[in-house]
Amino acid sequence: MMPAMAQLQFCVLFLVYVATQCTSTNVDTVSSGINIKNVDRTIDISSQLVKITSKVTLENTGKSPVKNFLLAVEGTGKAKLAFIGTKDGNNKDLRNVETDVKGNDDAKFWRVDLKESINAGSTASVVVETVYTKALQPYPTSITQQEEQLVKYLGNLYFYSPYPVSSQKTNVILNTKAVETFTKVKPFLQLDGSISYGPYSNTAAFTEKELVVHYKNNSPFLTVTRLERLIEVSHWGNIAIEETIEVEHTGAKLKGPFSRYDYQQDHHSGPASVRSYKTLLPASASDVYYRDTNGNISTSNMRVKKDSVELDLRPRYPLFGGWRSHYTLGYNVPSYEYLYYSGNEYLLKMRAVDHVFDDMQIDELITKVILPEGTTNIKANFPFAVTRLPDSLHYTYLDTKGRPVITFTKTNIVENHIQDFQLRYSFPRILMLQEPLLVVGFLYTLFLCVIIYVRLDFSIHKSEHPHKD
Amino acid sequence: MSLEIESMVRYASPINPAVFPHLTMLLLGIGIFFTAWFFVYEVTSTKISRDLFKELLLSLVAALFSGFGILFLLLWVGIYV
Repeated sequence: MMPAMAQLQFCVLFLVYVATQCTSTNVDTVSSGINIKNVDRTIDISSQLVKITSKVTLENTGKSPVKNFLLAVEGTGKAKLAFIGTKDGNNKDLRNVETDVKGNDDAKFWRVDLKESINAGSTASVVVETVYTKALQPYPTSITQQEEQLVKYLGNLYFYSPYPVSSQKTNVILNTKAVETFTKVKPFLQLDGSISYGPYSNTAAFTEKELVVHYKNNSPFLTVTRLERLIEVSHWGNIAIEETIEVEHTGAKLKGPFSRYDYQQDHHSGPASVRSYKTLLPASASDVYYRDTNGNISTSNMRVKKDSVELDLRPRYPLFGGWRSHYTLGYNVPSYEYLYYSGNEYLLKMRAVDHVFDDMQIDELITKVILPEGTTNIKANFPFAVTRLPDSLHYTYLDTKGRPVITFTKTNIVENHIQDFQLRYSFPRILMLQEPLLVVGFLYTLFLCVIIYVRLDFSIHKSEHPHKD
Repeated sequence: MSLEIESMVRYASPINPAVFPHLTMLLLGIGIFFTAWFFVYEVTSTKISRDLFKELLLSLVAALFSGFGILFLLLWVGIYV
């Protein structure tokens, strides 16, 4: 046992230590002992997203072992960055934390903690994955119904890094041969559907050089401007999910008139428009509905596959640049897929956001979780940084004091954000009887009223000859 | 402090959803039978022959069965309360 004084002293010291640790995590310095030996970068701009995968080989040129390193994103791209992920050579996820570097306020930095530190003189390979939304500009900004959509990609020819890079290669995937212009810095090679740059040797830290590719991209430029996901948990064995989705075609705007006749006659008409798309639901999804304010949208198909339920959704009208649509998609899943329990403690493990269409981008996501009435001790755990909105109450069938609702929101979401959140809560099982007993109580009151009513006598005069049985 | 997911069990409904229709039919059937009996008794009995205990008992049984029957009817049709 420590004496009280020493204990207090220890506590104070510990607090000071924690405090200094907390402040120091947010500011880092660029270590001069790291050199990037090789970068193999793939920029995939064949969809509406910009997906950059970089295989980075780090080399420790210093004397002491290196435990972490910094990643940087250019000031021009940081607002468009939706996701950044890091993996080590064995494809295991590495933790990355946002951080600041003094003297470089323009760029955005992440500190990546390595699983095993790199000893002096040795190397380690890391895979960095970044996804940018709205980084492809339609150019021209408006096209007619028959025209192809051309977009412009503005990026960095070099791997943006706080460390010098010895050798680097970049491969730009376009999936089209129709390239109007592109940056030509030797050595480069244009192949079918891709352009490769490099190898470039010895680029200094923080080197930026504009990379422009102007090319044809008719892939669906569809943005979910707002997605409201409602998850309603029932302890009678069901979880109901309802998504209210607003989509907008954010590619080149439609110029001039729209001819439905041309569109139906010629299948090549409206190459940049979106006719339909596929939504993947969990394999256990049932009772699926797809509707909007007018009612059911009948132009949809559902296919039950082994590991998912595939929905082929066709909006009421094709979506051209600048056009919008709005619909509701709902389904049920059994509770045993996502809900776990031990005694009166429950754990809900569900996707914070689910697939809407391939290469999706969501501007604003709002997820609401409705828990059963009488739930207490709610603790939430999210896979990525979200804004938790104030809890509210929801009233539905057979409710008395309302069901607690947990709400959270996040902007700029892509497919990489399809991850599970966890919600812990306590719920006394006996409360499940509240709902049927409410109905029983209501019916019994009704019967009691009848019993009282038959005992009342509303007759005007007293009967002189009482009934004889 | 908090339990780990590994030590927890998947939560399924205390009553298998496959038997909701049968439960509804059975409970509501019994419930309606007792409700009918109750009302028939109320309108046929007279001031003299009326027995308060029998009325209360009949209505309680009717309310219990109908109440649970209605709950399972709701669950059957997809209103997961």
